[in-house]
Formats: sequence, structure tokens, C-alpha cells
Amino acid sequence: MVRAEEAARLDRLESQVENGGGGAWEYLCLARKLQARRSDKVLKHGLTILNDPKARSKLGGEEWTLYEQVAFAAMDCQQHDVAKDCIWILSKEFPGSTRVGRLEGLLLEAKGAWAEAEKAYERLLEDNPLDQLIHKRKVAIAKAQGDLSAAVNLLNKYLEIFMADHDAWRELAEIYMSLQMYKQAAFCYEELILSQPTVPPYHLAYAEVLYTIGGLENLQTAKKYYASTITLTGGKNTRALYGVCLCSIAINQLTKGRNKEEKEGSNLQSLAAEALQRDYKERAPKKLPLVISMLKNMKLNS
Amino acid sequence: MGAECCYEVSQIAYIKLVLHALKHRSAAVNGLLLGRLRQDGGATATVEIADTVPLSHSQIGLLPALELALIQIEEHFEAQGLSVVGYYHANERHDDVELGNAAKKIGDHIFRYFPRAAVLLLDNKKLERLQPSKGMDPVVQLYTRDSSKSWRQTGSDGSNQLTLKEPAANVVLLDYISSEKWQEIVDFDDHLDDISKDWLNPGLFN
Repeated sequence: MVRAEEAARLDRLESQVENGGGGAWEYLCLARKLQARRSDKVLKHGLTILNDPKARSKLGGEEWTLYEQVAFAAMDCQQHDVAKDCIWILSKEFPGSTRVGRLEGLLLEAKGAWAEAEKAYERLLEDNPLDQLIHKRKVAIAKAQGDLSAAVNLLNKYLEIFMADHDAWRELAEIYMSLQMYKQAAFCYEELILSQPTVPPYHLAYAEVLYTIGGLENLQTAKKYYASTITLTGGKNTRALYGVCLCSIAINQLTKGRNKEEKEGSNLQSLAAEALQRDYKERAPKKLPLVISMLKNMKLNS
Repeated sequence: MGAECCYEVSQIAYIKLVLHALKHRSAAVNGLLLGRLRQDGGATATVEIADTVPLSHSQIGLLPALELALIQIEEHFEAQGLSVVGYYHANERHDDVELGNAAKKIGDHIFRYFPRAAVLLLDNKKLERLQPSKGMDPVVQLYTRDSSKSWRQTGSDGSNQLTLKEPAANVVLLDYISSEKWQEIVDFDDHLDDISKDWLNPGLFN
């Protein structure tokens, strides 16, 4: 998950490098740190450095990291020959390395040679049975072939062993959602919130899934998690503010005719509505009339 | 709906759709089709797809963003006499040519309000093969709801229900692709992350 400020810095560096302003190495390092998928730019600027012997020697030991980064980018851009060259250079420098072996497997994946890639990974797993990255490549292979149920099974088995792998829980949640298995996706987010209770995106995602499942209890819980997202983000998260409003309407519709005392305080949604309008007035004034009208129709605007 | 219905896609609608998919190559994307119904006299009618609003490139199955978008989009385009007439979708994987369940569900929802709703699915292979000299064929597949309530791909029997309004649309599209215009596309997802980004994409084609 990339924070907004760092993402903005990456964008700035990217346009700086693209326009000939230098800073390619800084850009590449930041892209690597943030695991941002900017493969075409990384490939272009990484190759420029690697093909220049002077620039390469200035990198020292980091040269090999760059070869790896460019290999990844090349595979993403279907430039298999470039990837092959990089991997070959790395294999000469680090013979018998598992890390290079993983790259070789990845290249097979990029070419669509699933069976060979699986075999290559099995071989690597014999010597490194607990290599998390290789286990996850097997999930990726299943996903790339469109076999989502196999991917789910593999991920679940993986998580039985490596249950602290947050990325894996997130990936599993996303696969469940693409299969419309929302309850299972909700379970994944519950695990994530339990282990990392102050990370806002998990609260938000959990709320969104609960809202999607629907039903009074889920909507009430969703509203609570939208609220906790608002707290954790200092009220700056637009989706959470909207979410509170949406939940309130949905809950009101389901509790029409029930005792008024069962209805929760309506302060939260009015505050959220106000916050939204303030925000739009300041940053997106052209859209403000639409938002006001929407909130009025939702009876949240007094 | 016994009558034959044609679907005519305007250049801006078509190009926005493809550019949106190109901006997020490793994800599924979707969006709404805006347009109006034109009675051509007799039993034929044409759905003019005049514009598109790109919706999301992540977590497509989730309701909140979709509901918000529908409310705001409907309201905005009402003034121009346009309403939501369909939905577009581009699959995550290159060789996935199926219309997925999420897409069908959204299509069903739109169908309730507009019985001639169209679902357009991006055809990756056609897009790949697109060249300036050939093809006025749109790089999307049209799906409509048949009497058995399922979404059926049209055109397999040779009929041409989907046409591009401007014949040079593909040429213009290729031009925009080569100039990497897709970097500038904003969808509703982007707007929710940063409300200063406008999902109407004004000035995109200036």
C-alpha cells in the first residue's frame, strides 16, 4: 500500500526523469521501495543506466539489484530477451542462487509456460521448502490461468503456515471478492484488522464488503467501521464519509416503522455530510451542486 | 422486446472506454454508458451511446462506489437528456473472453431501469490487432439480455448490431494510444481517492 505523499513523489520524479531532468537512480530506488508497478518507465531508465558502463560501475554492489529490477520490468513489458539477458548476467554472478532461480521461474511464467514454471518452482522448493515467495508464485500461476478456485485453495493452505502474511490475506480477500464470495472476503479483512487494528484501509475495505453483503446487522457494523476509518484518517477519507451516509439511508430504510429509539444518533451522518460538503467546496467546487443535491435527496442535508 | 435494436457508439464514448482499460492494464475496469433511445420509425430503434463515465479499476464487485456513481452520474447527465443505457467491462486477464458474474449483475441492475441495456466487453485480441489501415470494427463485444434473462453476445450470427458512429474512430483511437493519452483518464475510483480529479474528464480530448 503506497502512501499518498510517497506516490506523489514518485510521480514527480518520474516526470522529471522523463523530461530529461535526471534523477533516474533515485526514481528507480523509490519505485523499488514502494513496489510500484511502473514497468515501462523502469525498463526504459534502468536499461539506460545498465547499458552505460560508467553509470553501471558507479552503482557498485547495487548493480545486481538493478539487473533484478529491470528483469522484472522487462517481463512485465513482455520484453523476454531483455529479461533473459539480465537473468543470465545475474546467474553468472550468483551461480546456484535461489533468488536467481525464482527469476528464471518468473520468466517461464511470463512466457505462459505454466507447467515448466511449476516444475522449476518445485525444484527450488525441494531445497527451500519454506520460501514464501515461491509458494506465492504457485498461487499466481493458478490466478493467471484463470483458475481462481485453485488459487483460493493454494492461498488458504499457504496462510495456514504463514498466517502473518498480510499481503496474502489481502490477495485472498480480493480473489474472494472477484468471485463474489463476500462473506469469505469479510473474514480475511477481520483477520487483517485483528492483527493490524490501526491500518485504515482494512477498516474501510471491511465496511465496503459488509455494505455489499447487506442486511441490517451488516449495515450497522459497516457504519461502525466507516466511522473508525474516519477516526483513523482524521476525517479525510472521502469513501468513509460517503459510506457513513450510504449506511444511514440503508439502515433507515430497513428500520422504517420501527421504534425511533432503536435508531442510532443521527449526528454522525450529518457531520459526515457537512464534512463532505466542506471538502468539495474547497477542492472540487464544480461538483458541489451534485453532492448537495445527492445529500438532500438522502435527507441528510438540513 | 421482439424488435431489433441497434447500438451506435460515439467516438468519445468508445475512446474513453478503451483508454480507461489501457491505463489499468493489470486490472479489470468498468464504467457506465450514457445515452438515449432513438426511435427510427417502425419497429426499429437505436440506442445512441453518447458518452461513458469510467468507474473503477479495483474492487469492482463492491456496491458503495457503484451506488454513489449511479446517483451522481444520473443526476448530472439528466440535464443533457442522457441516461444510463449500459455498462462496459474489461477483464483482468488478456485471454479472458467471458462476461463475468459481477458484470452481469451490474448489467441486470441497469436493465431494470433501461430494458435495452447494453453491456460492452473489451475484446483484447481485437485491440491488439488494431491497425490504422484495417477495421472499422469496434474492439468491443456487445451483449444484450435475451428473453431467457441471460446476457447473450450479439454478432455471432453475422448481424451488425453495434456500430461506431464516426467511421474514423479507430484511427483516432490509435493516435491517442500512441501518444499515451490513457495516462490522463480519470475514473470515479480516482475521484474518490482525490476529489479534485473529475470523473467527467473534461478537456481530455482538447
